[in-house]
Amino acid sequence: MSYENPQQPDGINVSKTHPLAEFFPLLTVVVVAVVGLVALLSLAAGSLARLVPFEYEQKIARVVAAELLPPGGTHTDTEGYLQGLAQRLATEMALPPGMQIHVHFEDDDTVNAYATLGGHLVIFGGLLDRLPSENALALVVAHEIAHVKLRHPIVAMGRGATVSLVLGSLFGITDSSAVRSLIEFLGVTSTLSYNREQEREADDEAARAVLGVYGHLAGTEALFELFRNMAARDLARPPEFLSTHPGTEERLARLKALAAELGVSGTVTPLPR
Amino acid sequence: MPIELIVVVVLAVLGYVFGQLAERRHFASIRRREREYAELLTFSERRPPPGRWQTALVGGNVVVSVDYFKRLAAGLRALIGGRVSVYESLLERARREAILRMKEDALTRNAVMIMCVRLETASITKGKGDQISSVEVYAYGTALMR
Amino acid sequence: MLISNIEIVPGHRVLRHLGMVQGNTVRAKHVGKDILAGFKNIFGGELTAYTELLSEAREEAVARMVAHAQAIGANAVLNVRFSTSSVTAGAAELFAYGTAVVIEEG
Repeated sequence: MSYENPQQPDGINVSKTHPLAEFFPLLTVVVVAVVGLVALLSLAAGSLARLVPFEYEQKIARVVAAELLPPGGTHTDTEGYLQGLAQRLATEMALPPGMQIHVHFEDDDTVNAYATLGGHLVIFGGLLDRLPSENALALVVAHEIAHVKLRHPIVAMGRGATVSLVLGSLFGITDSSAVRSLIEFLGVTSTLSYNREQEREADDEAARAVLGVYGHLAGTEALFELFRNMAARDLARPPEFLSTHPGTEERLARLKALAAELGVSGTVTPLPR
Repeated sequence: MPIELIVVVVLAVLGYVFGQLAERRHFASIRRREREYAELLTFSERRPPPGRWQTALVGGNVVVSVDYFKRLAAGLRALIGGRVSVYESLLERARREAILRMKEDALTRNAVMIMCVRLETASITKGKGDQISSVEVYAYGTALMR
Repeated sequence: MLISNIEIVPGHRVLRHLGMVQGNTVRAKHVGKDILAGFKNIFGGELTAYTELLSEAREEAVARMVAHAQAIGANAVLNVRFSTSSVTAGAAELFAYGTAVVIEEG
């Protein structure tokens, strides 16, 4: 019997592919798959959510109202005024039957306004204080009503739940935090373009409603000028209100283009103090 | 781009550059020492050649850590499945290194051959998320001395 | 004490088989060393501190197995095998086992 160890060839147990040649196609596949999956499923969920009757949305809103909405009753004058303005705009916007708008005032210095489930709008004190005219405020209120009319809050809820579900199941597969932050980033960015599209729709609806109520768009561009000033003052941290929205310049340009097209001008209504 | 993603990219580049450099150097060292110790024979056979031998249990171990790039690549691979080739080279390095250390142990005893070589691989720190993930390989066998 | 992972001792007869003996130890990694290992986790490479730690732990497992064998009057442990398992995150068990025997002297 003979014992020997002949020299063995090197590299049989190691794949010949260059690590980067494997990495980049892998990354591409993962990016495309995650973005595609999130986009497809959230689109489907959004379309389904649109079919939910508004009454059900109101019921959901009643359940979560305590968390979503500021406690009312302390600023009845302001809320009454905002509600009246909203009513005029809503009539102009021809909301479907049964869709009521409820405006809430949040006494907070935040420059923000949002629409949520069940036709509830929240206007923040910080925004109200900084707006120079009723026309600019009307554009904000109409913009938020347009979100309600176009069913954006319930669509956002449906899409949000779906995206969380997709990201959650992908998180289950990997325990690498690097991969998780990549997936999260992809999930968020792939829904942003859709959000911007919603904002453009709402902007257009709002401009038409303000035009209908006041007969002109004078004074409304002050809203975007306010955003522009804020962004200039606070470069590092633009307000959250803007992050999912199209750029201020783009929105201002669209509004000005619409005003120029109509060629009507008028007097600006001041805000009651 | 969120800050944590930038951190991931920077660490992956660092991990790739230094990891690949270290891997190339390690393989060169492994090949050199394998030639050097070629005269010491190793077998996973259980029965020693007939005759009267002195015996001793010899072993060598190594713990290797995965670099950030490899971990990221493996993390992506886990999403779609398939061969995780970046880990293949890592384990290959670890096994050959452990065998070489076992041989070094045997050489200090003037052994002629090592019988019944067994290899053990254990992921010693199977942590969650970003905890250290590393693998230990232990090679052991019975050294035969005249 | 003769320790071997083959089943026979070349040139010696086994007189008595005394059954299986085992030795184990569980070791947790050192916090200070763990921080250094964290850097290695980015660049890759050998974790020398862990290599030494596990090597010492394995010696201890063998020593315990030998203590068992001595206690029952054996003079050799044959067919020794090692096993490592991570019990919880950050701790590993090193385990050695084999057959305790009495072999003829000389």
